[in-house]
Amino acid sequence: MTDPLEVHDLLKVDGVTKRFGGLTAVKNASFTLKKGEFTGILGPNGAGKTTLFNILTGFMQPTSGTIHFNGDLVRELAPYKVVNRGMARTFQLTRPFVGMNLLENVLVACMSPRASEDKNKEERASYLLAQVGLGGRDKEPVETLPYGDLRRLEIARALATRPDLLLLDEPFAGLGSSEIEQLAQLIRRLHREENLTILLIEHKLREFMALVSRVIAMNFGEIIAVGPPEEIVKNEKVIEAYIGKTEEAHASA
Amino acid sequence: MKRIAPIDIAGGILVVAFLALLPMFAASNYLTGVLTVCVIYGIWASSWDFMSGLTGRENFGHSLFIGAGAYTAGFLSSIWSANPWVSLPLGVVIAIAFSLLVGFPTLRLRGPYFALAMLSASAILQRLCLIFWEYTGGEEGIYGLDPLMKNPLHYYWFVLAILAVTVITLTLLARSHWGLLLRAIRGDEATCQAAGINVTFYKIVSLMISAGFAGLGGALYAHYQLQVSPPLFSVVVSITVIIMVYVGGIGSIYGAAVAAILLTLLTEMLRGFGEYRLWIYTLTLMLILFFLPNGLIAPLWRRLTERLR
Ligand SMILES: Nc1ncnc2c1ncn2[C@@H]1O[C@H](COP(=O)(O)OP(=O)(O)O)[C@@H](O)[C@H]1O
Ligand SMILES: [Mg+2]
Repeated sequence: MTDPLEVHDLLKVDGVTKRFGGLTAVKNASFTLKKGEFTGILGPNGAGKTTLFNILTGFMQPTSGTIHFNGDLVRELAPYKVVNRGMARTFQLTRPFVGMNLLENVLVACMSPRASEDKNKEERASYLLAQVGLGGRDKEPVETLPYGDLRRLEIARALATRPDLLLLDEPFAGLGSSEIEQLAQLIRRLHREENLTILLIEHKLREFMALVSRVIAMNFGEIIAVGPPEEIVKNEKVIEAYIGKTEEAHASA
Repeated sequence: MKRIAPIDIAGGILVVAFLALLPMFAASNYLTGVLTVCVIYGIWASSWDFMSGLTGRENFGHSLFIGAGAYTAGFLSSIWSANPWVSLPLGVVIAIAFSLLVGFPTLRLRGPYFALAMLSASAILQRLCLIFWEYTGGEEGIYGLDPLMKNPLHYYWFVLAILAVTVITLTLLARSHWGLLLRAIRGDEATCQAAGINVTFYKIVSLMISAGFAGLGGALYAHYQLQVSPPLFSVVVSITVIIMVYVGGIGSIYGAAVAAILLTLLTEMLRGFGEYRLWIYTLTLMLILFFLPNGLIAPLWRRLTERLR
């Protein structure tokens, strides 16, 4: 049944819908990601972006629809199994293990079955911390870490599971512009050097422009436009969602 | 693997040596007997701490595993006249079987299901002992078990050695990558999942380990009392064990063992106070837990040895 043209689709989302009681948080979403692509999901608060991530990664089950990753159906897999198939995520609200140092936080993910080839776990965790710009701070507790560094730690933990696809949920939220620039550089470098496919959520148009090559724009749970960032900023529906209807969108979020 | 500080090893050796020599100074079968029970409580408390202290999933029915080990010994030794040494491995196996029975369906769920299922399962077993009194001896239980050793002092040393092995094994596990995962599970299960960790698997296996040592302690207790009865399954036993762990300092394992020994000794020493005994005991515990929410033994030891690390 596999269409030879679709072999390179790393992720294939087909008609995914998620209802919370009367609210439809994700409405019939369909899209594909090709290997090596760097795609962004854009949408105002409450558009259903995080819900979509939760469904892709097994943290929530869709009301309907299917998800194929690397050609396999991943619907109804437990989140840890999805990770071990090669799809890792970060959380919008960072969730470190408190009471542990930076190294131990990454070490946990180095214990996942997918990372079983990494024999020296400590060395690997230490290397990953250096990769995301937290080198030499292995023994620091996470409690005192500023927000920007917590985001980096989340990325190191995700990388420890050796993902093919990395899902980043609003990595820039709450950061200052110089921090954003540094983190964007890091993500760009990972995409280039680590052979990663990246799907990144952002709710501000500006951050996207320089980073991603394709944008999936969402509003009220629906995908309203897909295209390169230059086109997306000119798209009428997107402009309407962001400028014309901003007040309304916020009122209902 | 986090290494164990030399001062901790030295402290451990000193405590074990002191406990081993204690009956020599005041040779009496009474003291040896009390110490044997103290040390068995140490096995129960440290085994509880390994699973519940590290993963944060509280087990309100540890007496299920204790009773399972003890009754296994009772049936084997008294009713089927088996060699008493068979009780120990089989007590472990049966306790582990019970841990799978309760842990498998409930540890995959979030919320209080596991804690409540453990509590209910131990209460149900206690009832079953009474209902099937023809086989279990009902209230009176099973007696006439063979001792493992003739000399009570030798048996005390044997049980003390088992406690030492238990604490060392569980401490090494707790400080390994395994223990790190268990502590991560206590921290945030969703993050563990996102890190690719099969949370349910680690919880179930750590419960099996916890149950195995508790069952071993149960069988040792049965071969000390030479009798088993339904109160072994009671909530009182489970709660006593939990309090010991809290006094010891949750998650420290050695703290639980030391607290269990001291609190069991305290109950014995308070026998002279007659009816005030329970009041003094309860008040002591409340004061400790109120003023020292992190427990007494492990925090105290860490403070005393701070400079030597
Ligand atoms: N677990 C949940 N239960 C009920 N409603 C939810 C849940 N998660 C999200 N929602 C709702 O779904 C909508 C989309 O939320 P979310 O996916 O977090 O949006 P975004 O990440 O785009 O800001 C919101 O209206 C939100 O209130
Ligand atoms: Mg969101």
